[in-house]
Amino acid sequence: MAILALKQRSADLAPEPDSSGPIELVRYICAIGALQSAAAIPRVVPITHCGPGCTDKAYMNVAFYNGFQGTGWGGGPVTPSTNASQREVIFGGADRLRELIESTLTVLDGDLFVVLTGCIPDLVGDDVGSVVRDFQKRGVPIVYAETGGFRGNNFTGHEAVVQAIIEQHLGPDAGERKAGLVNLWSLLPYQNTFWRGDLEEIKRLLEGIGLKVNVLFGPDSAGISEWRDIPRAAFNLVLSPWLGLSTAKLLEKRYGQPWLHIPVVPIGARQSTAFLREVAAFAGLPSAPVEDFIAREEARYYNYIDGFTDFYSEYWWGLPAKFAVIGDSAYNLALTKFLVTQLGLIPARQIVTEDPPDEHREAIRAQFRAIDHDVSVEVEFDEDSFVIHDKIRSTDFGQKPPIIFGTTWERDLVKELKGTLVEVGFPASYEVVLSRSYVGYRGALALLERIYTTVVSRSA
Amino acid sequence: MAINLKTSSVETREQRLGTIIGWDGAASSLAEESAFSRGDCASCGSSRGAKARRVCELQGPFTQGSVCSEQMVECQAGNVRDAVLVQHSPIGCGAGQVIYNSIYRNGLAMRGLPVQNIRFVSTNLRERDMVYGGAEKLDRAIRAAFDRHRPNAIFIATSCASGIIGDDVESVARACEADLGVPVIPLHCEGFKSKHWSTGFDATQHGILRQIVRRNPTRKQDDLINVINLWGTDVFTPMLKELGLRVNYVVDMATVEELAQMSEAAATVSFCYTLGTYLAAALEQDYGVPQVKAPQPYGFAGTDAWLRELARVTGREALAEDYIAREHARVKPLLAALRPKLKGLKGYVATGSAYAHGMVGVLRELDVEVDGSLVFHHDPVYDSEDPRQDSLGHLVETYGDVKHFTVGNRQQYQFYNLLQRVKPDFIIIRHNGLAPLAARLGIPAIPLGDEHHALGYQGMVNLGESILAVLQHRKFHQDIAGRVRLPYKASWLAEPDPFALARLATV
Repeated sequence: MAILALKQRSADLAPEPDSSGPIELVRYICAIGALQSAAAIPRVVPITHCGPGCTDKAYMNVAFYNGFQGTGWGGGPVTPSTNASQREVIFGGADRLRELIESTLTVLDGDLFVVLTGCIPDLVGDDVGSVVRDFQKRGVPIVYAETGGFRGNNFTGHEAVVQAIIEQHLGPDAGERKAGLVNLWSLLPYQNTFWRGDLEEIKRLLEGIGLKVNVLFGPDSAGISEWRDIPRAAFNLVLSPWLGLSTAKLLEKRYGQPWLHIPVVPIGARQSTAFLREVAAFAGLPSAPVEDFIAREEARYYNYIDGFTDFYSEYWWGLPAKFAVIGDSAYNLALTKFLVTQLGLIPARQIVTEDPPDEHREAIRAQFRAIDHDVSVEVEFDEDSFVIHDKIRSTDFGQKPPIIFGTTWERDLVKELKGTLVEVGFPASYEVVLSRSYVGYRGALALLERIYTTVVSRSA
Repeated sequence: MAINLKTSSVETREQRLGTIIGWDGAASSLAEESAFSRGDCASCGSSRGAKARRVCELQGPFTQGSVCSEQMVECQAGNVRDAVLVQHSPIGCGAGQVIYNSIYRNGLAMRGLPVQNIRFVSTNLRERDMVYGGAEKLDRAIRAAFDRHRPNAIFIATSCASGIIGDDVESVARACEADLGVPVIPLHCEGFKSKHWSTGFDATQHGILRQIVRRNPTRKQDDLINVINLWGTDVFTPMLKELGLRVNYVVDMATVEELAQMSEAAATVSFCYTLGTYLAAALEQDYGVPQVKAPQPYGFAGTDAWLRELARVTGREALAEDYIAREHARVKPLLAALRPKLKGLKGYVATGSAYAHGMVGVLRELDVEVDGSLVFHHDPVYDSEDPRQDSLGHLVETYGDVKHFTVGNRQQYQFYNLLQRVKPDFIIIRHNGLAPLAARLGIPAIPLGDEHHALGYQGMVNLGESILAVLQHRKFHQDIAGRVRLPYKASWLAEPDPFALARLATV
């Protein structure tokens, strides 16, 4: 088959060969995986223009064999797809896409449709924008994002989808701000196995100190009406090492909204309290109600921790001392911070696996270097599980069996090391996750239960 | 029509067999329209200048995400135990590593084999590779796969992206094979090339036939039977042992040597002609290994005929008759106890094509009513072109018609109307994406991850017991059914014809 010209791109391609090499046992997928980000918004329906397998691959692996999360209203097998064939490759697929969108409107009930492109239309140069704009002109709530598989991963695809909705669906005018309303940009839906429970807990905490939250994704979101409210928010909260920063910057440019960046997703009382105080200060909230809420949460939290103390100090058969985390920067940083500062575990290896954009890596390194006043961690960036597993094998975990926070890919490795595995990220194929959360005050308790149940259940 | 192993790409199912993915009517009509019933296959279709038989196909404007050939390559070539699959693609195609790892690990455990991760390497094509080509990355990935795992074979799965940019996968593979000294096997499975994913099975088998199967075997293993299957429990070993035969399971979880020795076997069988059609026919054509041409081993009629034909091909008729008699005697009282509990129930089968033909038969043996079935595609003929393999015809002749027989490529929106039409008590299903909809309608599903569950005499008992078990799940499903909303418009949910849009489009 002939080589076809790529569509014009705004950014120039790097002339030198990139360093990306083979990847074994994937820890993220391609940009069209963000169809599940669209599906994470209640009553939003993704439409994929791609080959026949892309949609199935994206949801079966990220939404099903990753905690068995379910697929949402319009995601998963509901997702309309062109299932592009030879004909669309040779003659172009714009007409087919138009036909699909038209018929989607007669079959599916949705508040917003998000067209995502795969490798095929992005390579053959379909003018997807003009197809979608025709529908927009008719008043159809629809946007599009270019998410061809070679363009990036599901993290960057997520940002493309978010920005498509903001730029193509929200008006240019901010209107009046609502005091105390915050837009939350945090964990990547579905990729993060626990995102639903985690977002629920983060929302609960922010509301606890008196804010109103556009959580935007998941069961606690009001759906597209909440998205239309984005410009009204007093500020944007980016709660992750880097994901969401470009969105916050877009919103600042578009609506003049300020933003607060907190890289560490809080786990446990120390981080949660610090998180709430920082947000409260930024939002200018009165201190007394904030401190009241913190006091109540801490009292509950430490009551349970007090009970846990008996176990933690007296369990006869040994508990792991050293740990490794293999996972996306957000959870990796959050877990490492919690395990070091709250439990006093020793970090042996931290590997960030989602291929964060180069411009954010130094900031991520800095966060890990300042994990605690007496602990500094040199984080590594790897995506290829073969390399990652070799690194873990060569890590000095001391005399005791290690505990590894990782994914299903680590099951064999952990058996080899005679350690303990807690599956905390994509893919977690041996976890069933409904509303479980590992963040905040409450999530930390669930996490402790999970860690030590796993350890104890292995002992006999 | 001969299978051509000289070309590197497999011919698609639609080219070879006239495969369709949209049809609705009575099973008897589809059997009638299919090639088996037309006698001389060479005459039909040729009038149109086409190689394959044609059955009128329904095609509509609305389609939901389906499945591609590359996924079937993953689930076959990717599960060969001492091989590595290199995916020449952007990282998204590598998503399949997750599902097939889970299936592989659980399959290994079911068979008592050492559990391990699958071994897939993605070449990780990026934007600049789309411009400059990905051949160099492919070369690197193949060599990395070899250095890391010392596999006995390396498979390469192509992708939509590598196909469109025109990477010369063949040359890279040949060069690597010469250097590494193990077969390096390109499997051409670009998702856009075939409208049905089952072409991916054929792509895998094509590559194995070309580059792994021993060409001039010096020995013949007269008691070895190739069993084309997936990851199901080992039900064939005890069954074939009764005939003094040994099992060579292919392709999933086989070793490269087990694949190589296929040409030495006495015969080839499979649990499903959809999966086995290409490999079995080619082994017969190019290596003289006969494939068993009989109904599939489901229900009494199918299993009897299948065992007798296997026995005939391998010269073990007396052993087979003895085994058949013993099994009938053993199973009949068990079924007699099950049937009254199942009588009056309505079942629905939604699985791959030939497999569904078998499942409907088993349900009818159990006195379960079957008014409807959905198959994900239909092959008007299998590669053998032998009417003894007409699995749909066998179903209709042995068990009577299925009134609402539908061919659809896993389209959830149609599944709603299909279920409304027949209102089953439970469904039997393989392949994801449909059972959750049924669940929301209050209908429990038996998901057959183990494809051997309903096979042979014991399979009838197994399935009967599974039905009784899953009916208990109705409590869960009916609880949720009243509380969920479906994402389809009320006008669509009220539509009685699942193919209304397609018929509108063809008027």
